[in-house]
Amino acid sequence: MAEDPKTATAGSPFGKPQVRIDGRAKVTGRALYPSDEPVGNPAYAFLLTSAIARGRIRRFDLGEARAVEGVLDILTHETAGGEAKPPEMQSGGKTTTTLESDRVWHDGQIIGVVVANSYEIAREAAFRVRVHYEKEAPSASFGSPGAEEEVREPGEHKDYRVGNADAELASAEVTVDGWYGTPTQHHNPIELFTTTCAWENGKLTIWEPSQFVYGLRGNVAGQLGIDPEDVRVVSRFVGGAFGSKGGATARTAWIAVAARRVNRPVKLVATRDQGFTIVTYRAETRHHLQLAATRDGRLTALRHEGWELTSRPSDYNVSGTETTARMYACPNILTKVNIVHADRNTPGFMRAPPDTPYMFPLECAMDELAARLGIDPIELRRINDTQTDPTNGQTFSSRHLMDCFDRGAERFGWSRRDPRPGSMSNGDWLVGLGCASAAYPSNIAATAARVSLRPDGHARVQIAAHDIGTGAYTVVAIMAADQLGLAPEQVTVEMGDSSLPPASLAAGSSHTATITHAVAKACGELRDRIARAATTSNNGPLAGRDPATLVLSAGRLTAPDGAAEPLVDAVKRLTPGALEVYAENIPKGLSPEAMETLYKGKPPMSRGQNREDVTAYAFGAQFVEVRVHSRTREIRVPRMVGAFASGRIVNPLTAHSQYMGGMIWGLGAALLEKTEIDPRHARYVNDNISEYHIPVNADVRRVEVIMIPETDRDVNPLGVKGIGEIGIVGVNAAIANAVFHATGKRIRQLPIRIEDLL
Amino acid sequence: MDVLLTVNGQQHRLDLDIRVTLLDALRERLGLTGTKKGCDQGQCGACTVLVGGRRVLSCFILAATVDGEVTTIEGLAGEGDPLHPMQQAFLDCDAFQCGYCTPGQILSAIACVQEGHAESEDEIHEYMSGNLCRCAAYPKIVEAVQRAKPLMQVQAKESD
Repeated sequence: MAEDPKTATAGSPFGKPQVRIDGRAKVTGRALYPSDEPVGNPAYAFLLTSAIARGRIRRFDLGEARAVEGVLDILTHETAGGEAKPPEMQSGGKTTTTLESDRVWHDGQIIGVVVANSYEIAREAAFRVRVHYEKEAPSASFGSPGAEEEVREPGEHKDYRVGNADAELASAEVTVDGWYGTPTQHHNPIELFTTTCAWENGKLTIWEPSQFVYGLRGNVAGQLGIDPEDVRVVSRFVGGAFGSKGGATARTAWIAVAARRVNRPVKLVATRDQGFTIVTYRAETRHHLQLAATRDGRLTALRHEGWELTSRPSDYNVSGTETTARMYACPNILTKVNIVHADRNTPGFMRAPPDTPYMFPLECAMDELAARLGIDPIELRRINDTQTDPTNGQTFSSRHLMDCFDRGAERFGWSRRDPRPGSMSNGDWLVGLGCASAAYPSNIAATAARVSLRPDGHARVQIAAHDIGTGAYTVVAIMAADQLGLAPEQVTVEMGDSSLPPASLAAGSSHTATITHAVAKACGELRDRIARAATTSNNGPLAGRDPATLVLSAGRLTAPDGAAEPLVDAVKRLTPGALEVYAENIPKGLSPEAMETLYKGKPPMSRGQNREDVTAYAFGAQFVEVRVHSRTREIRVPRMVGAFASGRIVNPLTAHSQYMGGMIWGLGAALLEKTEIDPRHARYVNDNISEYHIPVNADVRRVEVIMIPETDRDVNPLGVKGIGEIGIVGVNAAIANAVFHATGKRIRQLPIRIEDLL
Repeated sequence: MDVLLTVNGQQHRLDLDIRVTLLDALRERLGLTGTKKGCDQGQCGACTVLVGGRRVLSCFILAATVDGEVTTIEGLAGEGDPLHPMQQAFLDCDAFQCGYCTPGQILSAIACVQEGHAESEDEIHEYMSGNLCRCAAYPKIVEAVQRAKPLMQVQAKESD
């Protein structure tokens, strides 16, 4: 940590742009993603998935499929259903089953696995399987006959009741009241959902892209009834995740079962359409959002009620009211969340899980209120800015929301905005400028790391962390280099393997804070051992100095009086080989059992909104220019500016990419992305990456990222907040607000499309 | 069926099921896993390789029908060799995050320059739109193409 007096700030790579240490492997095609890992003589699996959304399987006709030459095995509930149990959901609670029974919970559910000598044979055989169903009419979505609604009981997520929002809404000077909706969305990482399993002497190795290798290990061990120590999960590189590779899904255990049955490694590369139904996705949501305010713009009430769609058995929900209740100073707050069950697969987390859907209505409503009051939208946020968490009176560990707005507005040229809707144009294009707030809780988890230092000054860090594109390999190298006074090139990093010390889930903007603290702790202990040995030896140049005052920098251990010893000599004093330290970091507020929990495969996470000392969030401001064609109503986004205050940035180069990627995700969420569902069959219609529209190169023009320097000594010792999620938050609202500014139309259902503006 | 493939200057004689795509032949038979499977239906561009210098979706072509020499990402720079200017530009510009679409992006970008479709920023945006990047490194991909283009032209002149 550059600000730690024990290490010198000069020369530290912390906070300086650093090209990815794994970059060369990625641009040369030598980075091994799980399905690239070579295994000897693999068999290939093809999944059978259900063609109905609700009912039972009466029987399978497997004869024709089994007759295809090269077919090795076909797993169904009848042939193999008892060999594995369902995985546990990340959030707890129940989920749908697969081969364990004849029950069909949703369209595209895994109902069998065909295993053959080649991919082509497995695929052909899969299409020759005949399935006879007992069909029932499915419920597809909100409002479908048979969909069941229930109030989400407080548990992992709370509801907030401060003052009396209903009474205030009934009597306030000014109110806005709107219903909003966000669609089903799928992560669609470019890497498909793959699993390769191999058994050797009763021990299982799984190669699968994962955001949590210890979680997958623990889950599959539980599903198969074996010791977690006999399972190894390898996921050195992940081809995009965005939440989709965080929780264990049913496929993994079935591929392990298949490999055991055919006594060969088995490789599965699920197809793109199967990826829509065999893993999680972002749930469809509905919102009723009401604000009350005085004529001078002070909020007097906030009422936010949400509805989230989930599967029949699951109570999964993201409850983003945790954030909306905390955004602005307000004396009367009421939040509530409802769950609606339908015949769908179970949703899960997707980039900025709670805040992408929940901040949309709040930030649109703030814009509407500003327009109603004739107050500039940024000024309305300034009037209601607060350094105190309105739900509990705690202070924010740091909150630089208005600095983000001010810097962003300056870069964006907000002052040139004529507030009247439809007043700005450029040729045939109507121009709209919109803004919105962004926020995301600062989370951190317990994690361990092992660091070794060789006498030649080369360090190796081992940590079962995950680089899902975030630059985690490089972050770990920077952190170790910073702590040990080395250059990042002198640090080798091993990650993505459950045979390494356990790291928590790479999700919820927690991973950088989590792993940097664990690496710093291990490095600190290593440094202390070297310093102690150097100061207590009789013959060294540092004999008799106070070990706490020694600085490790540029390959030397130096005392305040200038006496110094090369690191090489200091390490040699302790060992002729490599000096190794294993350390566990349990963040403040977590129980001492956190590491045990992690070893079992559960993420022990301290969440920024649940802390008892401070409320810890990162904040930001989003600015978007949209152009709406005056005749065709085509919507384009020529320019986006995002300003973020997220604590100290470890690597500004990769951080810039992450923020930018998040903002472009916001563009997709606002204008393009929607998984369409056939209401009769509860079936996804556009389950491919051509008809499920994600942003392509031509959709994206100027995207500017501003990183506001922020020192936060309360969030965690290193002052590091997460950045992976916040980039997307609020973009959907900023775009909807810009569309309003361009056209005068308030669109409250995403995505916003041409037909909404005709 | 007996198939002769020339990949990165090396000839390979393979006995293949006629249904095997070029992508699966590269990945599962030749161990060239730098070429990625992202959709297997010609929608994402992750499997882009060069055949006879032109960009081709290797998931969309049967191995048995390949006519021309195939260049994959592994063929641009050997281990320890200097990188191709496009690879170096992608690395320096941080024109990727997860890296999964990157081999396809780089081969597509090389072809984009060679086709003469990198004359302006707008043109690069359009002609690189067949390669999806879910991490959304698009602005940096455009920057990398612009950075590599003059270096590629210098290299091309030197080799003339």
